[in-house]
Amino acid sequence: MANIKRANTSGITKSGAAISDVPDAPTIGAVSDPGTDGYASVAFTAATTGGAVTTYTATSTPGTLTGTSATSPISVTGLTLSTAYTFKVKGTNSTATGPESSASSSFTPTGHGAYDSIATVTLGSAASTITFSSIPSTYTHLQFRVMARDTATTGPQYSLKWQFNSDTGSNYTAYHDVNGGGSTTGSNGYGANTIAYLINTVTGSDASNTTQYGVSILDILDYASTNKYKTVRGLGGFDRNGSGQIRLGSSMWMNSGTAISSVIFSADGTQYATGTTIALYGIKGA
Amino acid sequence: MAAANTYVAIASQTLASASASINFTSISGAYTDLVLICSMTGATAATEVFLRFNGDTATNYSCTYLEGTGSAAGSYRNSSQTGADLNYNAGVVTANPNVVKSNIMNYSNTTTYKTVLTRIDAPTLATGATVSLWRSTAAITSVNVYAVQNWAIGSTFSLYGILAA
Repeated sequence: MANIKRANTSGITKSGAAISDVPDAPTIGAVSDPGTDGYASVAFTAATTGGAVTTYTATSTPGTLTGTSATSPISVTGLTLSTAYTFKVKGTNSTATGPESSASSSFTPTGHGAYDSIATVTLGSAASTITFSSIPSTYTHLQFRVMARDTATTGPQYSLKWQFNSDTGSNYTAYHDVNGGGSTTGSNGYGANTIAYLINTVTGSDASNTTQYGVSILDILDYASTNKYKTVRGLGGFDRNGSGQIRLGSSMWMNSGTAISSVIFSADGTQYATGTTIALYGIKGA
Repeated sequence: MAAANTYVAIASQTLASASASINFTSISGAYTDLVLICSMTGATAATEVFLRFNGDTATNYSCTYLEGTGSAAGSYRNSSQTGADLNYNAGVVTANPNVVKSNIMNYSNTTTYKTVLTRIDAPTLATGATVSLWRSTAAITSVNVYAVQNWAIGSTFSLYGILAA
């Protein structure tokens, strides 16, 4: 075939204009995720033989979705998430469109949400502290989702307590909250303290409570800021079919110059019980 | 190592006709938490929102409430119920959408009872938070959202999964 194409090569003219070779097939490369929903980036290597190419076209299977570019890679849009695709690339010039490359490896696009899981700790044995360190500063907000029980048996509930960046100074407004105990409501506030907490959201381990944990969700807003204090809002509680607590709370770390890069949760009673789970998520900004 | 895109839409329903019950079934156990977001109006009368899991109609549900009605704050409790009534005063009324966001924590584990944290906003009645308990160690595979009175056409119910790394 190559010889046949070369029979039409340079030196032969049509109405005085040079006729280019038909392009040879490029070599397919890797298909990668460019970071945008529904997009694929298709790499290829141009053939060293054949006619000069003005435009390369990548075509998907299934869907026959196409993208074009004069150089590698080619961006193809309109892909359906979770569908497996392969791609072939071909070159076009003023003479003709050349043959397609072989098919790429399979590529399945996934979504790019704004909510990433950073790390999770599930205790296989009781522990006094749970630490999250080396937290990247690339998100806008953090969220902790907590399911926690204390091994202490002398009280029905305990507090979720934490410190940032190993700061043990009196730099936390420990809490301001509004709470309901099932029949009464209350609101508490406390000024500068050495630790922050969302009170009464961790259950104890008395005899009647071996299968139930308190739960909390903490949002740490603008945690990587270096020009304002860091505010935490919390929603937490537990219900034990006859007793319980529900809490809306807030606290602040009075440090304006440092991004939060680590969080230590400390047990309020004795230790966090086996099965306690704390998951850290990052929420992206636009 | 962070894992991207861990907040995933599982299913969504929009009422095409008035109804007092919707179901999410065959829920994958692949996630860590579930988030249920409902935006509802009452079809003809004020109503409320209950949750049931895995078709359990026994008296295995309880709730503790904190609500503000615009004139007073209160806390209430329901024990040994046949469904988790998410709103004590913050019912779903006609004409105005009411919003429920429930976090069903660690829903697929088989060693603990299941706890749900809910924020409910019924702007013409109340705002509040509820913690609910389902006394079962079974993994949750279906969620029934139901009411006594019908919700109106256009009420929406969306279920999301959150996956921990």
